[in-house]
Amino acid sequence: MASLPPKHPVQQGTADAAGGADAHHHPPKGLLRWVLTTNHKEIGTLYLLFSLLMFLIGGVFALVIRAELFQPGLQLVQPEFFNQMTTMHGLIMVFGAVMPAFVGLANWMVPLQIGAPDMALPRLNNFSFWLLPVAFTLLLSTLFMPGGAPNFGWTFYAPLSTTYAPPSTTFFILSLHIAGISSILGAINIIATILNLRAPGMRMMDMTLFVWTWLITAFLLIAVMPVLAGVVTMMLMDINFGTSFFNAGGGGDPVMFQHLFWFFGHPEVYIMILPAFGIVSVIIPTFARKPLFGYASMVYATASIAILSFMVWAHHMFVVGLPLVAELFFMYSTMLIAVPTGVKVFNWVATLFRGSISYEPAMLFAIAFVILFTIGGFSGLMLAISPADFQYHDTYFVVAHFHYVLVPGAIFSIMAAVYYWLPKWTGHYPHLRLSQWHFWLSVIGVNLTFFPMHFSGLAGMPRRIPDYSLQFADFNMVSSIGAFMFGLSQLLFVVIVFMCARGGEKAPAKTWDGAVDLEWTVPSPAPLHTFETPPQYRPAEADH
Amino acid sequence: MWNTVKSVLAAFFGVQRESRRRQDFTSGKPISFILVGILMGILFVVVLIFIAMQAAK
Amino acid sequence: MRKWHVWMTAGTLLLSGELSLNGKLQAAGWNMPVGVTDISREVHSLHMTIFWICVVIGVVVFGAMFYSLFRYRRSKGAQAAKFHEHTTVEVIWTAIPLLILIGMAVPATATLKKMYDASEADLDVMITGQQWRWQYSYLGEDVNFISSLATPREQISGDQERGENYLLEVDQPLVLPVGKKVRLLMTSDDVIHSWWVPELAVKQDAIPGFVNENWVRINEPGIYRGQCAELCGKDHGFMPVVVQAMEEEEFDAWLAERKSAASEEAAGADREWKLDELMERGEQVYGSICAACHQPNGAGLPPTFPALAGNQALLDDREHHLDTVLNGVAGTPMPGFRTTLSPVELAAVITYERNAWGNDTGDVVQPSEIAEQLAE
Repeated sequence: MASLPPKHPVQQGTADAAGGADAHHHPPKGLLRWVLTTNHKEIGTLYLLFSLLMFLIGGVFALVIRAELFQPGLQLVQPEFFNQMTTMHGLIMVFGAVMPAFVGLANWMVPLQIGAPDMALPRLNNFSFWLLPVAFTLLLSTLFMPGGAPNFGWTFYAPLSTTYAPPSTTFFILSLHIAGISSILGAINIIATILNLRAPGMRMMDMTLFVWTWLITAFLLIAVMPVLAGVVTMMLMDINFGTSFFNAGGGGDPVMFQHLFWFFGHPEVYIMILPAFGIVSVIIPTFARKPLFGYASMVYATASIAILSFMVWAHHMFVVGLPLVAELFFMYSTMLIAVPTGVKVFNWVATLFRGSISYEPAMLFAIAFVILFTIGGFSGLMLAISPADFQYHDTYFVVAHFHYVLVPGAIFSIMAAVYYWLPKWTGHYPHLRLSQWHFWLSVIGVNLTFFPMHFSGLAGMPRRIPDYSLQFADFNMVSSIGAFMFGLSQLLFVVIVFMCARGGEKAPAKTWDGAVDLEWTVPSPAPLHTFETPPQYRPAEADH
Repeated sequence: MWNTVKSVLAAFFGVQRESRRRQDFTSGKPISFILVGILMGILFVVVLIFIAMQAAK
Repeated sequence: MRKWHVWMTAGTLLLSGELSLNGKLQAAGWNMPVGVTDISREVHSLHMTIFWICVVIGVVVFGAMFYSLFRYRRSKGAQAAKFHEHTTVEVIWTAIPLLILIGMAVPATATLKKMYDASEADLDVMITGQQWRWQYSYLGEDVNFISSLATPREQISGDQERGENYLLEVDQPLVLPVGKKVRLLMTSDDVIHSWWVPELAVKQDAIPGFVNENWVRINEPGIYRGQCAELCGKDHGFMPVVVQAMEEEEFDAWLAERKSAASEEAAGADREWKLDELMERGEQVYGSICAACHQPNGAGLPPTFPALAGNQALLDDREHHLDTVLNGVAGTPMPGFRTTLSPVELAAVITYERNAWGNDTGDVVQPSEIAEQLAE
């Protein structure tokens, strides 16, 4: 593990204008160095490795699900354990894999892209990372508790998650609290960094889209994580202290749980996709060698999506029996989200138009993101039509929809980011041939897995069932084959990343010829300390 | 004031001219944008509720 | 002129393609069913409209994208242009989706309003979700029964060949008359369930403490199958919904028959029952109501679902046993069955639990005893 992160030429003092390293720093050696580090690059690496580990664990849970669903009937696991797997898969992927991966990328790249020496609050940064292993060890330990792990889905609707929940639910609540604190602290740090530590001469409007989307995401995080904390605390009270927030028998309201959860949950969805928009908006111009089309609109559309995300939560609840007016309100507001999202897609396409396009692995993933995310957007538009949602709701059509926006959406953007910035982190290009194999296997695997789910959902298969009637058998078999293909090809990703950390073709400071942002002015690998003397920011040529 | 409203509207719509955005970011005060943004957000919700109520009749 | 012609032809081809494609997808179970109610037809047509809108937008956007990806390859010497803004174009491509969406919202609103109008129903049925079965009460008709999964366990485990309606078959379907407006009132005794029949385009959550309203007017007689759509615990995948729609006269006859059976059942509470009679009836009730949690062999699934076999707390205290079954245990998944089951069924199942799996207490609980307790 200690050998993996970039071998920073820390004490060598690379005499570079941007990366003046100081020689008086002697960080602790070995494992303790990682526990105590306050360096944004090391913490970024920790976040990314943690997220990779969680991605693999969550992936194994997904494969348990897909293996059971390979054929009708119960073969491998019992329904109780199946429900634990769906729950843990969702929780681990959302809170353990996607969110920490984005925070890790922000840790590494936000200071480098704005010319800051580090995050604004380095010790807080260390603390927010180390909360995560605690939270997820606690969460995973519930699998070994009597009564098993939480089994009520990642949306944990009450009263299934309160009165009818296994005893381990209290531990699940505690772990969500810890993970939530970590997210809030991380968000505060990112906002403080972006607002205060930009290089002299860099105005807000000079920031890259990645920094912009993360700034907006951080505000979303601060706005909604306390709501999550509130709702799980109410669950805690219901379970352990005899209150009846969500218990109809005691005068409580199970529907209120869903309102609270989705008031958190819908912005949460955008927390998992806005940074992805930012990454893709940085990568596509680089490899199209052309400035991002409609930079201003991209920023505004991001803000617009963020604002709308607070007004659409009840579209997750179209079948709970909302009053007609509410149903219409949430249908209209949800349909409106398609507009700024459409603007983004059009702008990416317009950036490609009349560019000079090359197909490095990062670009392949970014292009796949645009196409497959748009397919997820289309099914999202269909789901917004409330009368039709009565048929789609809680079926595999929904599963297909959100996996299209999360896997070839969020996850592909993270992979694109890794391929884009790995040379900056390690000083080496990732192995080209293997990266291409990884890309094509992932793209084929992902579509094999999730495209048939549209059909099984429309044909009537509810989600979260361990066994299904015979007419869904073919779709499920294809999905399972695709899932194993996708899952196994991620091992290739792990190999590529570790190989790249150990060696490979040397990358220059400006790794990609079309890259313009500040991080490409520091050497590759980036020394442990960069921009200790703030760079004078000169707006890129594109800005004139 | 009217310029601020127009900029916030542009943000809601998601399209803005580079030159106007540049102007907003150099001459505008953040607090006025935030206040107008919140007010127009509320207005937007009210209008949408009104439309939904009319449609539900 | 020529161009228009080409477009028209392409449009016609696309449209006919849609029709035949749609037909094929339907037959193979790849698409949303058209269903057997006016509402389900409207929902299906909304679904297809928005689908084709997405397809058209997708063709345009992806077309432009793939054209760019192919045409402007660097390997073919493409030189990058410098433009990065065009306000008019941006306004246009923001406004067009907005107009399409408004066009889509109008018919969706109209359909939604129809779906919400449950007034002037000819028949009211109360649907109560329970872990993991449905209870149907015909309000004002004294007909009330439980509908649970009928697929044998041997088929689930694979020891027996799976039937055509595997997991979509129940012991007693909900019977509804054709052509009548039936109001469906939904609630739940425990967690949230969701009652869904795709062919009827009805999906509604059954929520404890709430009564939701929906309605259906079925056009064609037949058997329509669906499932619980909201995760409701262990056997969420094993609580199907089956609706049998029949002509009105047939339905009236069925209802009359159910009514007389119900009064017979009520009369049974007055007489003295023998142990083996109760055991036989009790085994039946236990199998359809209790076995999902407490298991067919009474071993339960501790710690959530305690064992009944050798459960001294119950066996030593008869009153406690009666109280548990009648009123449930607060704060646990155990519901009370005082309103769900008849006195005969309650007496039978308690007697069965006290004598099966080696419990052998020899206790007999008489229906009359239960009826007395219920009357209190």
